[in-house]
Amino acid sequence: MLSDFGIILLFILAAFAFISLVLFGASFLRPDRPNVEKMSTYESGEEPVGNANVQFNIRFYVVALIFVLFDVELVFLFPWATVFGQKTLINETKGLWGWFSLAEMSIFVLTLALGLAYAWVKGYLSWVKPQQKIPTVDTKVPQSLYDQVNKKYQPKAKASQPASGTV
Amino acid sequence: MKPIEIVFYVLTGITLLSAITVVTARNPIHSVLALIATFFCLSGHYILMNAQFLAAVNIIVYAGAIMVLFLFTIMFLNLRREDEESKTNLTKMAAVVVGGILMVTMLLVFRAVQLPAVNEGNFDARTGLVEQLGIMLYSDYLLPFELASVLLLVAMVGAVMLGKREAGDRHF
Amino acid sequence: MLPIILLSVFGIVLLFMGFLKSKVLLLPATLVFILAALATTFMDWGKTYLYFQNMLLTNNLAILFTTIVLLSAFMVVALSNSFIEDEQAQPAEYYALLLFSLVGAIMMISFENLIMLFVGVEILSVAMYVLAGSDKHSPRSNEAALKYFLMGAFATGIMLFGIALLYGATGTFVVSGIKSYVYTNAYGVSLLLYMGIILLLIGMLFKVSAAPFHFWTPDVYDGTPGLFTAFMSTVVKTAGFAALFRVLSVSFVGVYSFWWGTLAALTCLTLLIGNVTAVYQTSFKRMMAYSSISHAGYLLIGLTALGTQTKQALVFYSLAYSLATISAFGVLLVVSRQRQDTNGVNENFDAFNGLARQNPLLGFVMAVSMLSLAGIPLTAGFWGKFMIFTTAADKGIYWILVFAVLMSTVGIYYYFRVIIAMYFREGAAEPVKVAPFYRYVLIAATILTLVLGLAPGLLEGLV
Repeated sequence: MLSDFGIILLFILAAFAFISLVLFGASFLRPDRPNVEKMSTYESGEEPVGNANVQFNIRFYVVALIFVLFDVELVFLFPWATVFGQKTLINETKGLWGWFSLAEMSIFVLTLALGLAYAWVKGYLSWVKPQQKIPTVDTKVPQSLYDQVNKKYQPKAKASQPASGTV
Repeated sequence: MKPIEIVFYVLTGITLLSAITVVTARNPIHSVLALIATFFCLSGHYILMNAQFLAAVNIIVYAGAIMVLFLFTIMFLNLRREDEESKTNLTKMAAVVVGGILMVTMLLVFRAVQLPAVNEGNFDARTGLVEQLGIMLYSDYLLPFELASVLLLVAMVGAVMLGKREAGDRHF
Repeated sequence: MLPIILLSVFGIVLLFMGFLKSKVLLLPATLVFILAALATTFMDWGKTYLYFQNMLLTNNLAILFTTIVLLSAFMVVALSNSFIEDEQAQPAEYYALLLFSLVGAIMMISFENLIMLFVGVEILSVAMYVLAGSDKHSPRSNEAALKYFLMGAFATGIMLFGIALLYGATGTFVVSGIKSYVYTNAYGVSLLLYMGIILLLIGMLFKVSAAPFHFWTPDVYDGTPGLFTAFMSTVVKTAGFAALFRVLSVSFVGVYSFWWGTLAALTCLTLLIGNVTAVYQTSFKRMMAYSSISHAGYLLIGLTALGTQTKQALVFYSLAYSLATISAFGVLLVVSRQRQDTNGVNENFDAFNGLARQNPLLGFVMAVSMLSLAGIPLTAGFWGKFMIFTTAADKGIYWILVFAVLMSTVGIYYYFRVIIAMYFREGAAEPVKVAPFYRYVLIAATILTLVLGLAPGLLEGLV
């Protein structure tokens, strides 16, 4: 007689066995003719450049931090979900338990939701875009003349050929 | 030896090995991978102690979310080259002495301590399961639970306050 | 209980008040919030309440400690008018984090369950880590935050392990439950209990920066923006000692013979390191960091000689120390900002040269605060030291008494360096300008120090 854990253990063992079986079987069957091109890292058809271990952008970091915090909040929700609707507890307390636990969790979630709202309104969640640099030319011709020229030779419709010569 | 004891010792061996790898690995990414292995082993220990929920949480939060942060930090710091050790021998010696004393003391204490035997008659197999945890958490431990939300809020406000890009900062 | 809820809500309110166009309202609103919390604290005066199934216990001692913490926070916030003028600063966040950290401090003061102690320590510490690094453009501030965070997280881990072992030994998290366990098993306490006590003590002593867990203190205090240093060295220390007193005097008093020797040794070490190292400092702020270590040593004497007088002495000493520290940092803030040298703000002793002549008020405030910290008669600090030494004498631990008196004479040397610089050295000619409200706060702190120095009986009989 297997316990529930025994079944899980069997499942894990079976997974390992299956994967090794398939991989070993494949390696016996397939021809083995490696070359440089085949051995290189597959990067969506691009030529791999350098190491995969590159510097990450900091903008991921704040998002990841907030994610961790909400992950922890999620952990608290699980035990709550199992006891929130328990019939026996609700009957024992004449229905009070349900409202009580609902209020508890609402306060908890609301506090964190306020934190999220704060970060959102502050703009911490929005993607940090690199600032566009508009090239400036040191010339005596005033900007208004350029604008006039641009306006004059502006393409009539959007679908027309790409305007050449404009900045 | 009972099968459960064999499982325990094997698991403990793997746990210790991977934990030692975390400290000794020269490449930080290898360290993190070994740390993930350690977390999985710890989850195994939790299951042996009949704390399945804790095991799942350990995987979700630690091996999942916190490891992501670790990796981000390592990638962010760009520690590709293997830095030479900056610690002096004196620091290492002090660390070994202090850690050794702590270990010896704990070993002595744990060997000498008499733990009460488990009474199989009144042992509740549901202890450590998620329902029991929920009932405890949402009745007896209600106040710390609610205040944990303040803790998380503080962490969130602090993280975004410090992590925010300023106008003058370098752009990566 | 009520101040905890109120401060949490007020913190969130402040966070969202940051979205208002004008920042003028923030400072007065924070002051009003702290006063409201202070008022609700006193609703439980004279009674002993247990809240939420043995989670919190309020009694007069807890209320007095809460009052000291809130008063310190009030004064620190009142001195913070520079936030509003500073472009880089984010005052709403700072104030909100300060209020949240007060929630943690009150939890540490009035916990009955060790879980509450842990959550309180965490809330206070996390807010402090962030505030230590709030000056984002200063590498020193960043270093302070990182150092504090790494070491603090480690210390919290050790403390949590201690709490777990205590649970393993006694089967309860409740402070009075541990006490009854100790009394029922007076001759056969589990060894895990001893291990738990040691680890819990290590974690808590780290938070109050007692030697040998003080290594973070100088760098963190030095790098943290001045106001937050004042907050750290008063609120965190008071809350930490309140928590230590509660566990030691309730839970572990039955095994006093086990821990008092360890604590006595750490007390002497703390006094020695704090006082002797402070002598060699050139920066006033670093000197204050070492001085805060040495004051942790004096407070530890009260715990080592745990007796009936201890709580009275701890309350009085914490109050005297907080008042003096905040006025010292208040003066330092204006002086260092207005007398800049080539490296930016000048926090060295020479910044105070000739201060008493150009600005007699600031000079007097600083002099009183230094005298109080040194423990000279007619100031609150004298009576604080007197009460602490009395506890040691009552318990008959005379060698620690002699050592502490010796160390406080060393202390007089470095506190008087400031007074000599202010009164007997020539300094910059231009007077230091002080905003009116700022001045009132400093005057109030000084008057309180003097009043407590003249009439130390005011606090007697409250606890």
